[in-house]
Amino acid sequence: MRGDATAVAFQFAGLALAPLVPGMIQMVKARLQGRRGASPLQPYRDLRRLWRKRVVAPHDTTFVYRMAPSLSAAALACALLIVPFAGSTNGWFGSDMLVLVGLLALARFATAAAAWDPGGGFSLMGAGRDLMFSVFAEPLLLLAFVLVALGAGSTDLVQMVAAAGHAHVASTPAHWCAALAFGLVVLVETGRQPIDNPDTHLELTMVHEGPLLEYAGRDLAMLQWTAAARHWLVLVLAASLFVPLPLTAPANVLALAAVVTAFCVAVAFVETSLAKMRILRVPVLLGIGIAVCVIGLASWIGGGAT
Amino acid sequence: MTAGNWPADSRLQARTDGAEIRGVPPDRWRDTVSFLLQHGYTFCGLHVTSPAGVVELRAAFIRDGAFHMITCQPDPQQAPTLIDLVPAAAWDEREAADLSGLVFSDHRTRPLITHPEQLERWTTSVRGHDTHQVAVGPIHAGIIESGHFRFHVVGERILHLDLRLFYKQRGLERAAVGKPLEQALAVAQRACAACAVTNSVAYAHACEQALGLIPSSELSRTRTALLELERLYNHLNDIGAACAGIGFSPGNMIFATLKERAQRVNRMLTGHRFLFDTVQVTRSDLEISEHSALAARRELRDIRDAAERAWHEVLFHGSVQNRFDGVGAITAADATALGAVGPAARACGLAHDTRSATPRLTYPDFQVAAPADPSGDVRARVEMRALELPTTFELLDSLLARAIRPAECTPGHEPIATGMAAVESPRGRTFCTVERDGTTVTRLRLRTSSYANWPAVALAATDNLLPEFPLINKSFELCYACCDR
Repeated sequence: MRGDATAVAFQFAGLALAPLVPGMIQMVKARLQGRRGASPLQPYRDLRRLWRKRVVAPHDTTFVYRMAPSLSAAALACALLIVPFAGSTNGWFGSDMLVLVGLLALARFATAAAAWDPGGGFSLMGAGRDLMFSVFAEPLLLLAFVLVALGAGSTDLVQMVAAAGHAHVASTPAHWCAALAFGLVVLVETGRQPIDNPDTHLELTMVHEGPLLEYAGRDLAMLQWTAAARHWLVLVLAASLFVPLPLTAPANVLALAAVVTAFCVAVAFVETSLAKMRILRVPVLLGIGIAVCVIGLASWIGGGAT
Repeated sequence: MTAGNWPADSRLQARTDGAEIRGVPPDRWRDTVSFLLQHGYTFCGLHVTSPAGVVELRAAFIRDGAFHMITCQPDPQQAPTLIDLVPAAAWDEREAADLSGLVFSDHRTRPLITHPEQLERWTTSVRGHDTHQVAVGPIHAGIIESGHFRFHVVGERILHLDLRLFYKQRGLERAAVGKPLEQALAVAQRACAACAVTNSVAYAHACEQALGLIPSSELSRTRTALLELERLYNHLNDIGAACAGIGFSPGNMIFATLKERAQRVNRMLTGHRFLFDTVQVTRSDLEISEHSALAARRELRDIRDAAERAWHEVLFHGSVQNRFDGVGAITAADATALGAVGPAARACGLAHDTRSATPRLTYPDFQVAAPADPSGDVRARVEMRALELPTTFELLDSLLARAIRPAECTPGHEPIATGMAAVESPRGRTFCTVERDGTTVTRLRLRTSSYANWPAVALAATDNLLPEFPLINKSFELCYACCDR
């Protein structure tokens, strides 16, 4: 499906706007904690600072380590260009949700593999935990997508988004189960509390921050942008798939902006009101999400039979 | 305070109110220690000194606020060891071996203060399928003193933790030697900022005992008030730190705010947020007007209400309970063996608090706080702080009821060459020994509560998950500088 120029423009704008999302969450969080906090533009300042710095890599690292930042940033950039805006997409990489799942996995694989290259203890620990989480998080993401895809009758994101606006899809239990599960996906993919603590560099507790530990300069800038892009991606998807938004260009974008902002506030609230979980409880939580998806699947099959 | 029939060969060297020093032959050293332990004495410190070039080993014990020190002149190549009788003496003996070259017989002393490069010289060897080591520090990601933690783990589970502290030995105890008693107080105080008052008061008490002086009631009131002000801001800080350890920012922020308010009270009353230079030997120069004391009491009442509300919020928060309960537990038996003190020991059900027997301070009818469930885990340790706060607030309210005026000690008992003192810091019993020649320090030994508790941290980490360690560490909230003294 060839998208109109506005949709394409907004997809590219997403690449630039992504760092605003973590910036906004951090700001709301600071306010909730009684701090003044940095401006939501802080991630941009960090990126500018890092972009100007030289890349320093540990001794004896190979292309696996050096490629990881660009590879994961590229994967996320492609993923952002797949997510439809205003009911259409550019169509360069197709718009299949399975491609999206694959791209996210590729980015995760790239950083995890890069953690093995210098062999630093903390990066490996973080990467190991990240991979352990992803054993549960990836099926969860896929199942949530599948539930929406079943309602839409297609794995094409454009049709899935369009279906979310139809009352007969949006009102099915399967759709609501998918929405619940996707809430957990948002927390895992963004690496936020109660799953992970993005503010800590406490060596022993790091998950997502661990593999990033050795990176510096432009490499780190790319990895930080990747993390911001993940925020953007999952929140925009959550808004598009589970909130019935108007599908015409200006109204869609305005509504989307409002919903994503509301989601940022919600994430900040969750993060402030909950302590970080014990690490081995996280798979249990994600397992509950998977169970919800299976119930949704069962209800869809049951509902489809009648 | 006599302890039945002393073993033969022990010779009374000196005695005064609350202290007795006995010399024993090296081959009776261990018997004498067993005898003291059987009679309810608790080990509180061991050190080496060499007056007139002869190495002397000294061990101090405490019972009901009275001290008993035994001393012997061992063969420097074969000193008798205590670690099987008193595991709590392990660090003291290792320190003595590192600093004075004393060799203890019958056990291989692992270095404590000197840091050999070869791993096998200071770590425990752990063998088995899939075991590996995780090394953290001495440089950390946060603003924190130097400490190296070597975890032996299987997956995320900690099998054993080897601690390596003492990175920045400052030689404070040596710096104090040769200084007049009055001046060396500054040295003892600087051992640690968070326990500055405890260290100073312990040092001052030890000097005063050596000089045969007793603090006047006014002086003891001043010092008690300072000690409780120190406990207040430390306890508030420790609860906040535990919340920070699990990423629970509301708890962290509110207790950080309360700690700041408590420290501002400190500044208003004494001119220093950490209460530095508020204690003097044999006297007190601190003056607090009725007006300031009243303002402080009002502010403290406010802080008390806010702290109680905040603690209830934290206590009944499900996600906090999930993290605190059952993590980093130590048993009462282990805590006793390792010589754990303070809230960490009380959290396991040991009702020990130096404040219940301190003739030199003002603690009328002091009741030792006890947790409802002495499980010895992170929850119990954090809860101990909250349980001790009301007592501290009440004490401060009555101690600051009047203006505080300069005060002096009065002659009370026979002077003695070696003075000893134990003071309850926010982290437990801090023990100080001062040996003097006239009014000059010949040996200072400061064994702080952090020093006493560190081995318990290593034990508490065992069998927990690696990511839980920062929380376990924070539930003790010990001081690194106390080792680097």
